[in-house]
This record gives sequence, C-alpha cells and structure tokens, in this order.
Amino acid sequence: MRRLFLILLFLSAAVGSSTAAELDRAELIDRLCGDAAALGEAGRSLMGVAAEGSTADRAWAAPIARAMMDRKLTCDGAGAVAITADGSRDALSGAPRTAAESGRSPLLSLKNRSVFEMADAALALRSSSDLGRRAAALRTLERQAVTLPELLFESAAAEESDPVLRAQISAVAEAAALNSVDPAKRIAALQRIAATPDRRALAKVGPLTKDPAYAADPAFKGAVDATVRKIERGIKIGDVLATLYNGLSFASILFMAAIGLAVIFGLMGVINLAQGELIMIGAYATWLVQEALQRFAPALTEYYLIIAAPVAFLVTATIGIALEAVLLRHLYRRPLMSLLATWAVSLFLINIVRVTFGTQNLNLVTPFYVTGGVPVIGDFIFTWNRMFAIAFAAVTLGLTWSLIRLTPLGLNIRAVTQNRTMAGCIGIPVRRVDMLAFGLGSGLAGLAGLALAPIYSVNPQMGQNFIIDSFMVVVLGGVGTIVGTVVAALGIGQVNVLIEPLWGAVAAKVIVLLMIIAFLQWRPEGLFAIKGRRK
Amino acid sequence: MKPLASDHPFQILLAVVLAVAALLAVSMVTPLGISAYLANAIGQLAAFAVLALALDLIWGYLGILSLGHGLFFGIGGYVVAMHLLRHSSEVTGRVPDFMQFMGWSSYPFYWAGLDFFPYALLVAAVVTVLISGVFGYVSFRSRVDGVYFAIITQALVYVAMLLMFRNDTGFGGNNGMTGFLVLFGWPIGGSGVVIAMAVVSVLLLAAVLLGCRLLLGSNFGVLMIATRDDEVRLRTLGYETLRLKLAVWCLSALIAALAGMLYVPQVGIINPRLLSPELSLEIAVWVAIGGRGHLIGAVIGAMSVNALKFWLSAAAPELWPFILSGLIVLVVLVFPNGLVDLAKLKLTRPMGIKRLASEPELR
Amino acid sequence: MAVALLIDAVTVEFGSFRAIDGLSLAIDFGEVRAVIGPNGAGKTTMLDVASGITRAKQGRVIFDDAIDITRSSESDIARAGVRRKFQKPSIFEGLDVRQHIAIGAQGGLRRTLSSYALAQRVDDVLAEVGLADLALRPASELAHGQKQWLEIGMVLASQPKVLMLDEPVAGLTDEETERTVALVRKLRRPDRAIVVVEHDMDFVEQIADRVTALHEGRTLFEGSMQDARADARVVEVYLGR
Ligand SMILES: Nc1ncnc2c1ncn2[C@@H]1O[C@H](COP(=O)(O)OP(=O)(O)OP(=O)(O)O)[C@@H](O)[C@H]1O
Ligand SMILES: [Mg+2]
Repeated sequence: MRRLFLILLFLSAAVGSSTAAELDRAELIDRLCGDAAALGEAGRSLMGVAAEGSTADRAWAAPIARAMMDRKLTCDGAGAVAITADGSRDALSGAPRTAAESGRSPLLSLKNRSVFEMADAALALRSSSDLGRRAAALRTLERQAVTLPELLFESAAAEESDPVLRAQISAVAEAAALNSVDPAKRIAALQRIAATPDRRALAKVGPLTKDPAYAADPAFKGAVDATVRKIERGIKIGDVLATLYNGLSFASILFMAAIGLAVIFGLMGVINLAQGELIMIGAYATWLVQEALQRFAPALTEYYLIIAAPVAFLVTATIGIALEAVLLRHLYRRPLMSLLATWAVSLFLINIVRVTFGTQNLNLVTPFYVTGGVPVIGDFIFTWNRMFAIAFAAVTLGLTWSLIRLTPLGLNIRAVTQNRTMAGCIGIPVRRVDMLAFGLGSGLAGLAGLALAPIYSVNPQMGQNFIIDSFMVVVLGGVGTIVGTVVAALGIGQVNVLIEPLWGAVAAKVIVLLMIIAFLQWRPEGLFAIKGRRK
Repeated sequence: MKPLASDHPFQILLAVVLAVAALLAVSMVTPLGISAYLANAIGQLAAFAVLALALDLIWGYLGILSLGHGLFFGIGGYVVAMHLLRHSSEVTGRVPDFMQFMGWSSYPFYWAGLDFFPYALLVAAVVTVLISGVFGYVSFRSRVDGVYFAIITQALVYVAMLLMFRNDTGFGGNNGMTGFLVLFGWPIGGSGVVIAMAVVSVLLLAAVLLGCRLLLGSNFGVLMIATRDDEVRLRTLGYETLRLKLAVWCLSALIAALAGMLYVPQVGIINPRLLSPELSLEIAVWVAIGGRGHLIGAVIGAMSVNALKFWLSAAAPELWPFILSGLIVLVVLVFPNGLVDLAKLKLTRPMGIKRLASEPELR
Repeated sequence: MAVALLIDAVTVEFGSFRAIDGLSLAIDFGEVRAVIGPNGAGKTTMLDVASGITRAKQGRVIFDDAIDITRSSESDIARAGVRRKFQKPSIFEGLDVRQHIAIGAQGGLRRTLSSYALAQRVDDVLAEVGLADLALRPASELAHGQKQWLEIGMVLASQPKVLMLDEPVAGLTDEETERTVALVRKLRRPDRAIVVVEHDMDFVEQIADRVTALHEGRTLFEGSMQDARADARVVEVYLGR
C-alpha cells in the first residue's frame, strides 16, 4: 500500500515536471545580467525552454540566445536590450529601444559559452524556419547530445517536417539516450531501439557489451542482452521473409518466362528456343510504348507498363503465330529439328534487333509504383518492383488458367495436349489449335518481357539469361501442366535464392541442375506429368 | 549400311581427306603454294569435322541429340591448353599471367604432371569419360531422351561455362588461357609446326572417320540403328540398351574431346565461350546441314559451314547470323537430310519438297 | 503340366484409372491361349506387364513356376525366354529383314551363337515366316502383312518359352491370315506357351486351345471358344448378337 502511494507520488511529480512550466521571463533577463553562476542558470533555463517551453516562449527566447552568443545583448538599468535581425529591441517586451550608454554586454565564460551554444542550437532546431539552420543546429547539438534533455529531441523530431532531418534527429536522440549516464534512460533507449530490429540497430547495441556498465550493472546487462536477442530474432525473421520474398519474385519471373514454353511444349512437344527472344521483343515493345507515350501523351508515361501489356502480348503473339504457320507446322513430327529451327529464329531475332536498335541497354523510366518499398522487419523491405513482378505473374497465372480451363480454346488445347490423333478424329481443328496455342505461348513470353523491363537491363541478349532456367522449370514441372510450372518455378526460384548467399550464383545454378537431374531419377516425367501411352 | 567395299561415296571422301593430308605434308618440305594460314584453316576445319562426327554418331545413329557436346570439346581443349602452358612457363620461367593476376606463384595441384603429354591425354580421357559416363548413366537410366535430354545437356554446358567464367578455379577465368609458346619443344608459331598440326588433324579426322565407319558396319552398329529406330522393341528382344547407349555416348564424348585437343593448339587460345550453348547448338546445325545420319554429311557440313563462317566473318561479319539462320530454316524445311538430299537431287520430284519436309524424324 | 506364365492378382493403374484390376491368369506349357475382349479391356496392358514395359501396382508375374519377373527389366525378361510381338508393328526402319531376325536370334549384347549357328538360325526363321526372298530388303519397304511376320520372326528367332502375340492378324487379308494360322500351329510345342491377343474370332477358333475373355481389366470368362460363344456375358460385352 505504502509502495503504491510512493509510486503515485513519484509519478505525479514526474508528470508535474514535464508539463511546460510558465517561464518567468523577467527573472531570466535578470540572470542574464547577473554573475557567471547566474548566467549559467540562465543558459540552462534557455535550454529548458527549448526542450519544453511553450511555442511563444521559444519564439521569444531564440533571438535572445542568439544575441548572447553574438554578444549583442546589453544590460542597462531598465533591463536588457538585444540586437536581433529586426533591430534593437527590449529583451523582455520586444519593444524597439536602444540600450543606455552605461549598459554592458555580459561576457560568457568558456564553460557558459558552451551552455549557451547548446541552448541557441536547441532553440534554432525547434523554432527556425530555415532547414539548413536546423540541420546545422542538429550537428552542433550532436556533440553534447548525452547531456541534453531527451524531450528536446523528441519534440523536435515530432515537429520536424523534413523526413531526412527527422530521421537524423531521432538517431541523435537515440545515440544520446544509449550513452546517457542515467541507466534508466539507457534501458528505455534500448527498448526503443529494439522496436526496429535490423542490422543497424545491432551495430548500435552490440558495442554496449563492452561498456563498463555492462559488467557493473546487472539490470543494464539484462536489458542489453534482451535487446540483442530481440534484434537478432527480428533480423532472422526479416532475413527469412526477405529470402522468401526474393525467391517468390525470382520464381514469378521464372514462371513468366516458362509458362509460355510449357504450354507450347505440352501441346506440340516442341521446345521453343526462341522463347527468350520473344521475351526480349516483349521488353522492346514495352520500351516503344513508353517512347510513344513520352512523345504523344506525356501525362500517361508513368503508366506505360500497364498500357504496354496488350501491345507486348499482341506483338509477340503475332510473331509466334507466324512462326508456327511458316516453320513449325511442317516439323511437328520432328521435335529435334524444330529445336534447331527455333534456334535459327532466335538467332535471327537477336540480330535483327541488334541491327535495328543497337546493342546498348535501353532506358526505361521507373514509374512511381515500382519504386521504393515498405520496411517490414529486420532488414526486410517489401519493395514495390518485386511486388510488381509477383502481382504481374499472379495475374498472368490467373488469366492463363482461366483461358485453359474455362474457354473453348482452352478445352481444345487440353484435348490436343492429351491425345492429338483422337482430338483430330473428333473434329477439333488441330492445326488451328496449334497455331493459336503457339500464339498464346509466345504472347505470354511478351508479357514476361514487359514484367522484366523495369527490373532487368533490356538489350538484344537479355533473352539468353532466362531461357535455360525456364527450360529447367519446364523439365521439372512436367509436360504442359500449369500447376507443374508454378510449383517448379517456386521450387527453383527458392532454391536459387537460398543457395546464392551461401555459395554464390554459379554454385546455385550448378546445384539446381544437379538437383533436377537427381529428381528426374525419381520421376522422369517431371512433377506433374500428363500420362500418355508409350507405345 | 552398305559394306565398306561397295560404299563408294565414303571411299571417295576418305581418299580426299587422305590426299589433303598428303598434300599438306608435302608442302612442309617443298612449297606448293599452301600458306601457313590456309593450312591452319584446314586444320581447324578438320577439328570441327571430328567434332561433328562425334555428334553425328549419337544423334544420327542413336537418335540422341546432345546440345552440350561443347563441354567435351572444352575438356579436351582445356587439358591440352594446360599442357601447353606448362611448357610455355618452362620457357618464360613464370606461371601464366592469369595466375599471377590471382597472386599465385605456383601451379595448383591439379596442374601437376600435365607437362607429360601421355598423362595429359589420360587426364582428358578420364575426365571426359567420368563426366559423360555419370551424366549418361543417370539420364539413360531414368529414360530421359529426346527433347528433354537435349535441353538438359544444354543446361550442363551452360553451367560448365558459368563455372569456367570464375577466376578462382585456376583455369584462367573469363580470359581463358593463351600465350602458348612451344609444342613438344618446337615454337608453336613457326609455319612448319602450324602445317604439322594441320596434317595431324586431317589424319586424325581420317582415322576417326574410318573408325566410325567400321563401328557402324559391325553388329554393334546394327544395334545402334535398332536403338535409334525403336528402343523399347530392342529391349524386349533382350538387349540392355542402357549399356549400348552409354558406351556410344562416352565414345562420342571422347571423340569430341579429341577434337578439342586438336582445335585449341591451332587457334592458340581457349576461353569459356567455347562452352557457350550457342557453339554446342552450332555443332548440331553443321550435322543437320550436312545430313544427319551420314558420316559424310557430318564432315561436309562441318567443313562447309565453318569455311563459310571463316570467310564471312572477315568479309561481312554482320551478315553471318542471318545466313546461318536462313541455312538452318532451309535445311529443316526443304532438305531434312541436308546436303545429302541435295546430292541425291530429290528436288527433281515435283512434290518432293512437301514430301521430304513431312517425313517423320528418324528416332 | 507346368505353368509357363502365371499372372497373379495383378493390378495396373494409370493415374486414377485401373487398366487391370486384380487379374489372374495361368498359361501352361504346350498351350495356345487366346485372350479376347473389347477395346480397352486391358489385353495389351497385360502383355506390357508380362514383358516388363509397364509396372504392376500389385500382384506378381511368375515365369516357369519359379522365376519371379514382376520387377525384372524388359531385357532380362526377354532373355529368360518370354517374348512378345507388339500390336503396332514395331520394326527398325533403318535395317533390313535379315538384320532384324539376327537381332532377334542373338538376344543380348553378349554373343550367344557362333556366326555359323546364327546364320543357320536366321535362314531357318526366314523360311519359317516366309520372308526368305526378301532377306536383304529394308524392313521399311515391306507390306503390312510382311511386317507382321517379320515381327513374329524376330520373336521366334530366340526360340522363346513364352510367346506373346498382340493382334498378329490385324489388318491382314484372308489369305495372309490363313498363312498366319499355319505358322502359329507350327510354332506350338510342348515346351512352349503361346498367348495370342486377337479380335478375329475365326482366327482364334482355329488356333486356340483355350480362350480368356477380359473386360475392364478383369477376367470375364475362361474356357473353350465354343463355350465363349455361348456365354451370355461374353456375348453381351464383346461378341455381340
Ligand atoms: N500408358 C498409358 N497411360 C494411360 N492409359 C493407358 C496407358 N496404356 C493403356 N491405357 C489405357 O488402359 C486401357 C487398356 O488399354 P489396353 O491397350 O490394354 O487395351 P486393349 O485391351 O489392348 O485394347 P485394344 O483391343 O484396343 O488393343 C485403355 O483404356 C487405355 O486407354
Ligand atoms: Mg491392345
């Protein structure tokens, strides 16, 4: 009971002290004109005003602190006169007046000078309207941050309008609190740091285990250890999430690159080696749309990624249909020859683009909706460009799935995939289905190119970078299944991202290939094979 | 397959190859107007022809398309390059530049002994058989074939290329190996050595050609063709096609490695681009253009395509990819058996074009 | 009499579809057994299991009373003496007739016959299947009926203990069918079992000792051809009328 009472008493005292006490301006002026000790008092009061005074008091005090520093404050019989930016004014009332002849300007001792310097900077930080001045003030304050009231930084951070400076203020405050002499403050600061557990936080807290207080003060030691644990856990969670997220976005790209391939492979048993180049063409179509928008509708330029979607799809789908009609149609019983034929097409496309557009990387603007990100936990940042790829893949998956499952064309595609001869016998126009499906598969490659355009460098060679990975997706997923493609893309994407930080990108590729070969020992038809007759 | 005694086209080809070798050999002593440059080109073409034979052996006669034969070509090439560099550094007294660049003052352990040529040969053979054997075994065991096999081999060579691009592997990284100075003690740039290398290449081409022909004419060759045409059928007749395929696959890899060993000393450089999937695809293109399933076709295809490439990459480098892709399309659509079709002039049939194109693939 | 081929409660599934459902069948040495049934009954699948091409999900396949071949490879099964002809003529496009028979006779990468014995055997078989005149023709040039005989010849050449013929007279003329009847009759031996899958009932009647009718992967009937014609279920699902 007694303890409770004491705590209440303590709390009320604490609350009382933190509310802005009315400033006795006259007394402050008196002290300013007093002896060295009084001057020191005055400096600390000014600092108090900066930390917790009312807006009016701060506005009043700021020019006075400045004047003290510049030795432009004169004490005379009627009080004091400060020369400010607005001219010579009475320090107390602010009314214009000049100092009496007999007045003297108080000289700051070295010790008091630093007190006033801090007070001046603190007042400037809180009330200056000039961002540069505030930033300079913060730099000054940083030097003695440990001795300054916490409330100062808290209030300054709360009011600061510039996000960069606000972050800097918080950082200074945090460092100050951490190194404060008051163990309670330090512990409180530790808890605040633990709220954003990332590697930077760990770098701040880590050295504290070598702090003398760590050995001496068990409470402090406990707090530090707990904070380190919490941060480490946060980092770990963040890392796991980041890996998953990166894996997911890589998988989305793999999926986008592979889905068209899988549809075509399932239908005709043809691996289209030009698929990578169709991706490249999709990216170039996207770039052309952006250029056209810049010229004819600059307001819409930022939305080129969305506007280009039908264009990229149609351009590549047309190429695909032409390819099927002119070339592959004559080769459907010779899958290995069609492999070579599609390679010829890929060679042709790379070089025609090289001749037309040159080999340099294209410049694509990064629209606002794929820039930046939201920090989540640890060092995991939910970046919008990755999210764009993921969302784009999800939409593509949805559309492809509906097309295959719900439309008459999809039904025909499935029928031909399962049994070409039988489908032909029951009157499905097999050749037309082939052509349309090839168009679909190629169009999907075009969309992949669009999704890649803002993330990767766009040049004639770009298709080569994905093509082997996406072959592996098709091999692993099994012939012509969407589910297989999704699962295989997720698997390969995650494994790649998991291995890369450990042994590097090349090792990741080697290991993925070995895993696929090993996997084929167990299931030669891939994950989700459509069973067909062998003989 | 016709008996060798009555296979006149083959006899003619072999005679021509041997005649070229003889001509080159003679030109070493009495000038016949064959410059070292021309001899070098012929030697490189011979190396490519050997490589094409390696692929034709498995693709044309076993129905297995490898898009990764550049890997074995590269193994042969790298081993011979290591051999040459060991001797070059005996001359210069320093390790090769790329090792100095890595800060190494002595050779890593796996370079040991490679200065002894028979050992280098052995290493090339063992590494080739090991890699092709393990890969072939796991693939054929799980009955991976056709397009699947083709793209997995492509991934294999791609991964190998990525590995070789790394500088810390001790194989020269992305700059590869170059600066070969001596071959068996003779300065490698001398025109005599250049022509000698060409002679050896052409002679080995003749040997490989004859060897392949004898193999294909034997019972084993009959079984290879049976495997290509209907593997399941052959298995149900009591044959372990796995072993047969594995044996031919490893043999083919060895021939490709031999081609690499011939090629690299003649061009004087090897780098990871030799392992790029494009080169491996090109091998298949040579064979397809020449006529898959015909030894003559592989040799003529490799020689003519590469001769055209040599010439064009000097005359009109921009044009080459377009011509190559046009050639492929032409072959694939109109002459499914490549130049062999052209030789038989099947085109004279009015409906020939359509009929040829829709013939099913030999499998 | 010894059982040449015992199929014991075999089940085969393709995905969720049961092509063979707990099928049991025993074929004796010296017997010619016909297996009949509507399309999709599972006849070919049964032969696939016996020759190792398709794996049974359950059950066993026993050869010659003692040798379990359920999990053996195709080539092991073939070398043990169980051979088949496929429904769709499977010949090697690039080889001639003689080479086909020689491949069948040799039966394995290791040589089992001397060249002389091999040539002898090939000549015998060529005469037996009536292709002696065509020995050096490329097999791809043969007529359909000749391809069927060539296939039978390939299988015969190794003198198998169990001979399985999948639709040997499908697509043949009446005259060719007659010749095939004679051939099959000649092939029957006390130490050999012959399984014939056929849709041609007249052919079956002429060669078969016993008939097994399959339906939806199960045995519907087993007995003589006369009884089969009289059996109500067989008539309903297969023979008609
Ligand atoms: N590899 C396979 N994958 C999927 N289904 C198969 C496979 N092999 C056979 N089937 C199915 O199993 C069933 C039985 O086929 P099977 O070939 O054994 O029939 P069958 O009795 O030989 O018919 P037919 O008289 O037409 O030759 C059929 O429905 C067929 O479609
Ligand atoms: Mg059948």
